[in-house]
Amino acid sequence: MSKTYYLPQANEVELFHAAAQMKLPVLIKGPTGCGKTRFIEAMGEQLGREVYTVVCHDDLSAADLVGRHLISDEGTYWQDGPLTKAVRNGGICYIDEIIEARKDTTVVLHSLADYRRVLPIDRTGEVIEAHPDFMLVVSYNPGYQNVLKGMKPSTKQRFISLSFSYPKPDIEKEVIIQESGVDADSAQKLVDIASEIRQLSDTDIQEAVSTRLLIYAAKLMVRGFDAYDACMHSIVESLSDEADVLEVLAKLIELHFPKADNA
Amino acid sequence: MKMLHYWLEFEESMGKSWDKYLNKKVHKFHEDARVNFEDISKNLHIFHRLMGGAKAKELRITDKRYVETSRTLLEKISFLGKEFFLSWQDEEALYLPASFAYFATKEHNEMLYYWLVALGAQVGTITNHNLLEENLKAVAYLRSRYSGFDTFYKEATAYLMQKYEQLAFLELLDEHSNADLIATYPNPLWIYPPAITPSAALKSDADEEPLREEGKDKSDELQMKKQSEQIDDKHETDGFLAFLPESLMSIFEQVNVDRCEDDSFDEDALYHAEDLDEITVGQKQANLSARIKMDLELLPDNTVTYPLGKGHYVDEWDYQKNDYLKNYARILPQVTMNVVPVELPQRLKKTVKKIQGELDMLKLDRIKNDRLPYGDELNIDSWIEYMSHQNKSMHHQNFYTTYEKKTRDMATLLLADISLSTEGGITQEMRIIDVIKDSLMVFSEALEKLEDKFAIYTFSSLQNKKVYFNIIKNFKDSYDALIRGRIESIKPQYYTRMGAAIREATKILDKQESANKLLLIISDGKPNDEDRYDGRYGIEDTKKALQEIKKKGITPFCITIDLDAKEYLSYLFGRNGYAIVRDGAKLPKVLTEVYINLTK
Repeated sequence: MSKTYYLPQANEVELFHAAAQMKLPVLIKGPTGCGKTRFIEAMGEQLGREVYTVVCHDDLSAADLVGRHLISDEGTYWQDGPLTKAVRNGGICYIDEIIEARKDTTVVLHSLADYRRVLPIDRTGEVIEAHPDFMLVVSYNPGYQNVLKGMKPSTKQRFISLSFSYPKPDIEKEVIIQESGVDADSAQKLVDIASEIRQLSDTDIQEAVSTRLLIYAAKLMVRGFDAYDACMHSIVESLSDEADVLEVLAKLIELHFPKADNA
Repeated sequence: MKMLHYWLEFEESMGKSWDKYLNKKVHKFHEDARVNFEDISKNLHIFHRLMGGAKAKELRITDKRYVETSRTLLEKISFLGKEFFLSWQDEEALYLPASFAYFATKEHNEMLYYWLVALGAQVGTITNHNLLEENLKAVAYLRSRYSGFDTFYKEATAYLMQKYEQLAFLELLDEHSNADLIATYPNPLWIYPPAITPSAALKSDADEEPLREEGKDKSDELQMKKQSEQIDDKHETDGFLAFLPESLMSIFEQVNVDRCEDDSFDEDALYHAEDLDEITVGQKQANLSARIKMDLELLPDNTVTYPLGKGHYVDEWDYQKNDYLKNYARILPQVTMNVVPVELPQRLKKTVKKIQGELDMLKLDRIKNDRLPYGDELNIDSWIEYMSHQNKSMHHQNFYTTYEKKTRDMATLLLADISLSTEGGITQEMRIIDVIKDSLMVFSEALEKLEDKFAIYTFSSLQNKKVYFNIIKNFKDSYDALIRGRIESIKPQYYTRMGAAIREATKILDKQESANKLLLIISDGKPNDEDRYDGRYGIEDTKKALQEIKKKGITPFCITIDLDAKEYLSYLFGRNGYAIVRDGAKLPKVLTEVYINLTK
């Protein structure tokens, strides 16, 4: 029985199960806060596999994935990195925001992401064959435009791709209610607000409001905050720093949730 | 004689005060709470998109329209209540009154704008037949979805009904109401069709002269596009008369737009326009906002465009033949001579300072160097590695890390489209070309700060024989007052043969030795030229040129001010390969931010 709440948007659960069975690596793309990480956690529970998460950044080196030597009283010893752990023991290795890592770092994944399923560790001279339950999952947000970053096509073409977007209104509403315990009416209004804000394309705001932010707003409301204030702090202020955009978004919130002193 | 003069003056002042009295009596406006469209237009634009309004649609100011109504006695005496500011929309824009003062508070008057914008985004095409139905449907939708609008609508309707007794019919309305009812008095809370049909046949109240509104803010009129009425000549079903028969013989019909002899045109037109009940504008877009260019106080322009060599040829792609036309387009490199060095204009200093502040925080230029024999920080990893290695003597003891300030290995070529279309205005005072110039300066300041290598070129074309390629700054030039002078001297000319310009830029970038190369294109519209380089031909050639540049490992990116650009841009540059700037005035900032985002 899975404890993590996850409401499927389409056929992603079936696909993931199939990929897990056939030992295929999976790539998940989608905007921030649409449920990528939550999906992996839920899948890990459903499949009964541990999830090893690595969040990528500029300075991520291959050693951060594979492992390194550490010092103890007796001298140095080898410490497996999250990737190696998953390869040895079986489990899902989830590499988040893979685009943030330098391109050459991710090349270590190549031999794991095709039919070979082996991880060579040059520092120790080991070649580890992947556990049957090992599964490689990477994710990234395709919305970022960058010249210096991006996935090598040779990396990209080793995965089964799942494309995520913000859930459909009724699903999103259900998710908000489940996650925060807010009443259906307010949840509906939050979903309405989101669908309107998502109409502002990337020229007015960099990225549209995520389901995660909506849940934050709902949680604040459940905690007893005034709905207008909750939305202002969780949704509006996080989306933009431009004065005119903020003003209009505030207006929109006010239309849905009249300010406390007016009501 | 003197007596007569006094008498006339007396009569005039009497008339004035009578007029004032009546206006006060009949005008139910709250001047102190007046909200102007201009002050909140920016916000309304964003709001319009937020409400799901068509993205390319504009919001504009409308003028008064004559509406046949039932009037109160006082209104009849004062000749008021005949003309109204109505909101309406067509394919291109939503037209709103220049200001509102119906309500006693600024909040309500402002809300009225937001309401109308939301309504405009909601309603379909409104005609005289479905006016009621569409409005009621949209109103119901907005009220059910937004509790804020619901409250506003209730308050507003109640207030208006109390102020204007003719609006009492609002209470009785439902979908089955007689459509004639609505035309009895215009409701400021609705959107009206582009051409309105009076409910009753036009009565001839021939003696009533059109009334000039006293004490009205003239600036409104000045900035207003008189678009009050468009002849609905496409659908001629309703037999609508686009003019008032009784004013036919007056000044109504002719304002001389061809004004080569009429020096004081603007004043006269304004004067006449104020007097009119309606102004009819044809579908043809006459260039009413044309300007006379006079360089009166400026120094004589000594700049000379100097050709660099005889030019050379590049290929062009003909999609119909599915092959290249070898050496088809002739590139003519040019440089502008005798430019005056220019300091950074005061108006840009704030933007530049802000962007440079952002750059400071980014620390883009810190590059980490590992495994050095000496340095700022100890690198524990390399030490452990050394310790763990079987044969220590084989390895060097390089345990240090430093953060070096180093220029990034980036070469950027900025290619700006300076075709004649950039002469067009973003606002009355600002042309696209001015924004492009500003952007080039701000961008240069930012890259100078980053110490990134960059070059700036502009292009324009006159068929395939002449593709002008102006050098503003090449990769070797250092950025200084002279470069700013060259930017300042840019003048819009000719057309946009984008493919040829991209190929030339590719050549230049290809010679650079940087690891990362970027071609940034600033444009204001589709590729086009006088010859067949228009529509699909131009787009396919540009697409081909972009494929070529990508093959060379150079990343192209396009920034455009063209609002309808989405379609062809994603075809040309790919989904993540372009940015559209809706507010042209923000281009300087956006351009630099896009660059930073692209390269950080």
